Amino acid sequence: MIVSLKWLKDYIDLDGISTETIVEKLTTSGSEVDEVIDKNSEFRNIVVGYVENVEKHPNADRLSVCKVSDGNETYNVVCGAPNVKAGQKIPFAKVGAIIPNGKFEIKKTKIRGEESFGMICAEDELGISDDHDGIMVLNENVKIGTPLSEALKLDDIILDIAITPNRADSLSHVGIARDLSAIFNRELEPPGISLDYEVTTKNDFAEVIIENEIGCPRYSAVVVKNVEVKESPDWLKEKLTNIGLRPINNIVDVTNFVLHEIGQPLHAFDLNTLAGNKIVVKNSKPGSKFITLDSKERSMLQSDLMICDGGKPVAIAGVMGGENSEVSSATNDILIESAYFNASSVRKTAKHLGLSTDASYRFERGTNPNGTLMAAIRAAELIQDITGGEIIKEVIDVYPYIIEEKSVSVRYSRVEKILGFAIEANKIEDIFIGLDFSIESKDDKSITVKIPTFRHDIEREIDLIEEIVRIYGFDGIPAVDNISVSLSRKIDELDFEDNIKQNLISIGFNEVISNSLISDYKTIDYDNSIKVLNPQSAEMSRLRTSLIPGMLLNISRNLKVKEEDLKFFEIGEVFSSNSKEIKSFDDFTENENLIIALSGNKQNKDWFGSEEKFDFYYLKGVMETIFSDLFRNHKIQQEYITENDEQFDFQFIMMADSKKIGNGGKVCKELLDKFEISKDVFLFEINLSILKNIVDRKNKFTSLLKYPKVYRDFGFILDKNISYNEVVKTISQSSSKLLKKVNLFDIFESESLGSDKKSLAFQLEYYDESKTLRDDEIDAEFWKTIETVKTKLKAELRG
Amino acid sequence: MKDKIDQVRADFKEDIISVSNKVLLEEVRLKYFSRNGLYASLFDEFKVLPKDEKPKFGKLLNNEKQESQKEFDELSEKINSNSAENKESIDLTLPGKKTEIGTLHVLTQTLNEIKSIFKGLGFSVYTGPELESDENNFEMLNFPDDHPARDMQDTYFINDSFLLRTHTSPVQVRLMKNSKPPYRAIMPGRVYRNEAISAKSYCLFHQVEGLVIDTNVTFAELKGTLVYFAKQLFGEDVKYRFRSSFFPFTEPSAEVDIWWQPKGKEGKWLEILGCGMVDPNVLENFNIDTEKYVGYAFGMGIERMAMLKYGIDDIRLFFDNDNRFINQFK
Repeated sequence: MIVSLKWLKDYIDLDGISTETIVEKLTTSGSEVDEVIDKNSEFRNIVVGYVENVEKHPNADRLSVCKVSDGNETYNVVCGAPNVKAGQKIPFAKVGAIIPNGKFEIKKTKIRGEESFGMICAEDELGISDDHDGIMVLNENVKIGTPLSEALKLDDIILDIAITPNRADSLSHVGIARDLSAIFNRELEPPGISLDYEVTTKNDFAEVIIENEIGCPRYSAVVVKNVEVKESPDWLKEKLTNIGLRPINNIVDVTNFVLHEIGQPLHAFDLNTLAGNKIVVKNSKPGSKFITLDSKERSMLQSDLMICDGGKPVAIAGVMGGENSEVSSATNDILIESAYFNASSVRKTAKHLGLSTDASYRFERGTNPNGTLMAAIRAAELIQDITGGEIIKEVIDVYPYIIEEKSVSVRYSRVEKILGFAIEANKIEDIFIGLDFSIESKDDKSITVKIPTFRHDIEREIDLIEEIVRIYGFDGIPAVDNISVSLSRKIDELDFEDNIKQNLISIGFNEVISNSLISDYKTIDYDNSIKVLNPQSAEMSRLRTSLIPGMLLNISRNLKVKEEDLKFFEIGEVFSSNSKEIKSFDDFTENENLIIALSGNKQNKDWFGSEEKFDFYYLKGVMETIFSDLFRNHKIQQEYITENDEQFDFQFIMMADSKKIGNGGKVCKELLDKFEISKDVFLFEINLSILKNIVDRKNKFTSLLKYPKVYRDFGFILDKNISYNEVVKTISQSSSKLLKKVNLFDIFESESLGSDKKSLAFQLEYYDESKTLRDDEIDAEFWKTIETVKTKLKAELRG
Repeated sequence: MKDKIDQVRADFKEDIISVSNKVLLEEVRLKYFSRNGLYASLFDEFKVLPKDEKPKFGKLLNNEKQESQKEFDELSEKINSNSAENKESIDLTLPGKKTEIGTLHVLTQTLNEIKSIFKGLGFSVYTGPELESDENNFEMLNFPDDHPARDMQDTYFINDSFLLRTHTSPVQVRLMKNSKPPYRAIMPGRVYRNEAISAKSYCLFHQVEGLVIDTNVTFAELKGTLVYFAKQLFGEDVKYRFRSSFFPFTEPSAEVDIWWQPKGKEGKWLEILGCGMVDPNVLENFNIDTEKYVGYAFGMGIERMAMLKYGIDDIRLFFDNDNRFINQFK
């Protein structure tokens, strides 16, 4: 909310308190000041100038060359406005000024050969209004050379305050002044009205009927006759301009003024447009259309509350008035509406219309039900003063069930229990009085106060404790020096992930973190993917079902900046639906996945070796390295698919206890093309959520081997189509448990072997945990193995 | 003679299988091809053969030797290309053969730092799902339906009752649903906000929330704990302030600012976290006796902490995963 410091001072004496202190105290008490705009400095180097002389620019038809005086000196200024004339007083931005709208600095310049030392400003350039019909011409009485901020009474300090949703009472100047009054212990002087009125539900000129009392618990209205609709007086225009509002006419300006003064939204109807001189508050007809003040047609729902006259709707309650009853220059008599609407009802209407106004913003948060009549009269009196109209002293007020002030108590002991620090009873009482809470009763244990109806947020003891500490200041609470910790078992649910991450970075992988929202086009397993109801853009409309798209996007981005040797991993959540509609947690699955990806060179050209690219076997090795220790008691199997599918040219699948936990391989071209990647990518994605449950990380000690290991090497020539796996299987099956390890150390293919042959060379490791093996024991076993391989696989022993 | 030639050939084949470096290679060369090597001695023997036998064995010996020599040369080339030490004389000033080490994402590093501070204070670490129910994300945390408080957190909805969590508080909800106080835990994780992407905001970020509920907890303890945290993370002389704020699930609520003074620029207060005493309505939702138990909660954005700590000026850098960015945090 925008607040003018000058305006605030109408209701509280802030003499002797610096702006910095005001800003600091407002902020720490919960009204966070986001920005302080000093209008004086905004208009620095912009003064009242006097146009002494205007001549046509010698080289440009539409420009003129003016002599402008700032009272001391006369400057040459090139001006493009058609309305510039000698003898005018104008806003003159001198060299060094920063133009408020656009924030550009005025410099000495040459325009089509003519020197120019400044600029004559239009209203829009100064940020005063949207007017760009030529330069702004000032009142003749202002003194030449006066700073413009002073001449226009813009010498104000503007605060942009973030008001939290619970503090509807702070959405006005009086509301902010009330907090300041409690903080600085200075008296609040709210605006007053005369008491010379009679209250009725119907007078000679208008009648109010509430049909929906839940949507509208109170409706007050005041009629002012014979108003003259015209421009507002300067003081009113200045007040509104300073907080960034555009003056419209004296009636609308007064309703806006009162809204920003005391927070009550008002609406003025042209009384003569109200059929039957009636106001009826009732729900909209379903499917009806309504044209609001901004000339837009709105579709109304039956749940929307409308203000109607004898026949038609004339306003959307609490949101915006209608074009059909708008105050215009032809208006003579007006009806000022000041109502209390149900917060939730206004919120629903504003939300479905996608229309947030100053009024709806306040009603949604809760206005003061007991302030409506006073606000209407306040506005009527101002309008009478300004326009010379006549207030009808029989004021209308329909308020079937009076909303009473609540009583709330607070125990001093509870204040201390919550805060860990005692605040004296009389300090607490002062705070309550400062906030306009009246003391109902008190004793040495507790205090009970009546809560004004503008404070919807205070209902419970804890709410009062918050008020106390808010005004007292959190800085006053001492921070403890030590804490006590229960000795119950502590858990870190990220241990598993941390461990895997640590292993991966130790073998050179970089961790990435990617967006989980991706485009339809890039979604893998589109049919089971979950769509976001209200995405920012089509680019981020689906939840990822896999970490692959995000990873490919990362690789693509890196390739574009010539980062080409990539070893990435990511751990993140993936989502897929199990049912058409998500009604419960059973209808979708959220898993934690790990992906590793490789692209480019494993080894770049260097003085000790030539370059080596990442390949499938490197990928496979990483997965085996990272996961080999995690599954002591579970069988890990791999399956291989050499045909390409939608993601991979060829791939391997990891299974644990016959359950698929992950797959990966060489990414196929079609998928890479989607991401504009022209290099090979190898990646593997694995489900950590499953893994977490089956993993066995309990390390166990086994005594170290006391007896020597024995090695035997041999090579076979085999048919090319016999896989490594088959050979190893045959070796293992034909060996006893003395065989502990089989290591393939050479693969060789050549013309001399024959084009359909290959040679594989293995080293076998044997040992016995309980004794030293004799050569003849090993040889017997070794030769048996060789014979089996020879016969079963039609292999030929080499050498 | 033929047997001898065959035996040498067979031995040679056997020997070269295990040759993996230039030392072994040299051994093989000396054994078979040197002046006193096995082939040299075979030729010596050949020279003294009867004349009529020479053509037969000469051809065989030559063929066999050439075959061995060819295999040896192939192996030699293979080994030498892998072994630069061979080509170079020893120059100890050559650059070392570096091994690569990867790096955790700067957000993970920052989280780990935050985690270790709180673990040091006896906090547990819990996690939970990102796709949550409205009940866990809002209702149980005292966000009334149709209340402007819900606008504070722009939400991505899946439908009326499911959404992408806007904070990690649902993990607190799950903890309170499933176990009894006391609690002392932090909840790190990814959260989503439906905001346009810019240098300052992204559609998601990472949070660490904390929850402590016990019989003797106070705001003064909350303050002490968070001041300790700020000092550990930002240094002993960090300047901070607590200012009143509003969150539906805590009361009183506050935000913590630290004074930020970049070199050569104007200093300013920057918000680093939100906190407060757990609202009695929330405790009551889990049947926790509000007279007996008091709690506090806090929450912070990891991105924000990292941006402050390292002077990162664009939140999108975290999710672009440019290797040049990632490698800056090794």
